[in-house]
Amino acid sequence: MSINIRCANPNDLLNIQHCNLQCLPENYQMKYYLYHALSWPQLSYVAEDERNQIVGYVLAKMEEDCEDNPHGHITSLAVKRSHRRLGIAQKLMNQASRAMVECFKAKYVSLHVRRSNRAALNLYTNSLDFEVSEIEPKYYADGEDAYAMKRDLKSFKEEKDTSSDNCYSNITIKNDECC
Amino acid sequence: MPSSNPLPPKENALFKRILKCYEHKQYKNGLKFAKQILSNPKYCEHGETLAMKGLTLNCLGRKEEAYEHVRRGLRNDLQSHVCWHVYGLLQRSDKKYDEAIKCYRNALKWDKDNIQILRDLSLLQIQMRDLEGYKDTRYHLFMLRPTQRASWIGFAISYHLLKDHEMALKILDTFRNSPMVFYDYDHSELLLYQNMLIQESGDSEQALKHLDKNIDKICDKITVKETYGKLRLELAQYAEASKVYEQLLHINPENKMYYMKLAEAERHTTPEDTLAMLEHYEHEYPRALAPKRLQLNYATGDKFKQLVDRYLRKGLHKGVPPLFVDLRSLYKDQEKVNIIESLVLGYKDALKAHDHFSDEDKDKPREPASALLWTYYFLAQHYDYLGLTQKALDEIDVAIYHTPTLIELFVTKGRIYKHGGDVQEAYKWLDEAQGLDTADRYINSKCAKYMLRANLIKEAEETCSKFTREGVQAMENLNEMQCMWIQTEAAYAYKRLGKYGEALKKCHEVDRHFSEIIEDQFDFHTYCMRKMTLRSYVGLLRLEDVLRSHPFYFKAAKCAIEVYIRLHDHPLPDPTQTQEIDTGELLTLCLLLNLY
Repeated sequence: MSINIRCANPNDLLNIQHCNLQCLPENYQMKYYLYHALSWPQLSYVAEDERNQIVGYVLAKMEEDCEDNPHGHITSLAVKRSHRRLGIAQKLMNQASRAMVECFKAKYVSLHVRRSNRAALNLYTNSLDFEVSEIEPKYYADGEDAYAMKRDLKSFKEEKDTSSDNCYSNITIKNDECC
Repeated sequence: MPSSNPLPPKENALFKRILKCYEHKQYKNGLKFAKQILSNPKYCEHGETLAMKGLTLNCLGRKEEAYEHVRRGLRNDLQSHVCWHVYGLLQRSDKKYDEAIKCYRNALKWDKDNIQILRDLSLLQIQMRDLEGYKDTRYHLFMLRPTQRASWIGFAISYHLLKDHEMALKILDTFRNSPMVFYDYDHSELLLYQNMLIQESGDSEQALKHLDKNIDKICDKITVKETYGKLRLELAQYAEASKVYEQLLHINPENKMYYMKLAEAERHTTPEDTLAMLEHYEHEYPRALAPKRLQLNYATGDKFKQLVDRYLRKGLHKGVPPLFVDLRSLYKDQEKVNIIESLVLGYKDALKAHDHFSDEDKDKPREPASALLWTYYFLAQHYDYLGLTQKALDEIDVAIYHTPTLIELFVTKGRIYKHGGDVQEAYKWLDEAQGLDTADRYINSKCAKYMLRANLIKEAEETCSKFTREGVQAMENLNEMQCMWIQTEAAYAYKRLGKYGEALKKCHEVDRHFSEIIEDQFDFHTYCMRKMTLRSYVGLLRLEDVLRSHPFYFKAAKCAIEVYIRLHDHPLPDPTQTQEIDTGELLTLCLLLNLY
């Protein structure tokens, strides 16, 4: 395999959608993926194996209507269970975050995570410096609450190399409701 | 252009309100105003009012009445651009694009400079890839509205798509020198689009100059660097190219392409050159996976043995579940397979005897108990890949005996049976795995797939329903979400069961997703010109041009073709003569009638 991590392009979208449908309960129609790729082409990243199969992706965007306080948002992040514990999610997230700062001057990045998803919560807090900003009751379609989380992106402005120690982040899931 | 039947001021004011209501989606009010005009006997056959009433009805889903009104309106006022435009919009909403284009053209006969109609026409032309027509319309729009950004952009893109790079570039150059306002990002994207154009014209030198000149105004540094690297290589400026790829690796040391390009820039002539470079980057970026793993592709013989030994030990010590998947691609080289096999078998014996990877390590600290487990797991996958089913099963059984709760082991056991051809046993093990972690959709999906391979369609749907929206049939929800893999797997299952109608139904659902995705383009024709994300836009157009070459489409189409051929060779009995026929087969016939 040897994983390759690179910025996503329109040709990846069907395969990203496939990966999403396999891994996560929150799914989107193709148009929503197109919307991401054609609005913020720098922000979404994929991890692919040697057969060019997508084994993980991060789908990211900028929040609109807040020009004085620009910030990014992670719409969806997944790594196939067959490729866990390689640190892929963390690397995807760091690339997306770096691009948010570089291209859109993002000050922070936000995301939502299910309260029950402890593995993802662990990844975000311990490996990626996210903090819980609030609880959004019944955020998910099935009635589960979400933690709204934020990560300050100041460090990306200063240092470019962002890999961190923890390579064992177990699970790598996060996802939003479909818009 | 005035209508042949102009309304007096009061009615005209009402008519304008109908238009406004349509724009604001206040369809009920729109109908009210239309009624006020049409209830006056003098204007009860007023063409444009009838047309607008029809268009409004269409938005309320009353299609038949809509067509009736629009056609009646048009008959009453054949020289009205409004009536023709409305008829075009109606056809467009039914996706009859060729018809709609004809209507717009008729409308333009009566009002040749109508911006709205020209814009609508240009959208259909690009959607239908009438590139010559698109260019003419964009030229027309440009002449009418030279102060709008979109006029310039659309004009330039139309030439780009016709591969007239020179003209497209000229337009963009002039545009960029005009005093139009740009936000940083928009300007950055425009410059990168312009650079893409220069590259596609084949003039690498010019592209490089353009980049040099504008680098400060481009915020997307990754694309800048990647472009620099590509151009420098094309121009044989190897030292500069090396520098660029070094910088890129610093930003993302997991990008394989950067290593390959750097090897090219450093003019490597032997695998040893590349190996040395990767070794250097392993030390430079100790946390990166790629340089360690890529070395295994280039090393051979003893060097390979030494490297893979270290790699395997590390993975087995830590317990990296994808270790085998990670190394699988080396298996095309029999020498490497032999080395890996003898190493891992050696670990197994030593670990069993004294918890070390080899006898020489006896003085070192013991390996965790899990190291042996991961070794069994690796061997099971190794033998499975080589087609040695029994050996694979032996290893996985010892592993399960060692740790009976690890989901990955059950998945692998199922996969061994699948590869061995026993779909029933395969699905049972996946079902077992799924029961151990019901919150993981990946396992759930795999389980459903194995069920479908065993032709257990109902069970698969039941399994999937744990992750689909409540209150909706699982298959319906999956269809809505364009979940093609399951529809294709279901199609093959139905085909194996001889339920040809159901099989075709699934194949056509997949086909419909592709049609939808082609439709999805529509909104982006205007959106991207506003957003200035033109490189991605052109990427989208090129993708959509070949969308159905995607493997998902191929697989579903193959199933459909096989079913159709089978039905051609062995036609079903005529349903009017046979009463006892299942609904699936009836449906097949309906589909056949439509399609032949």
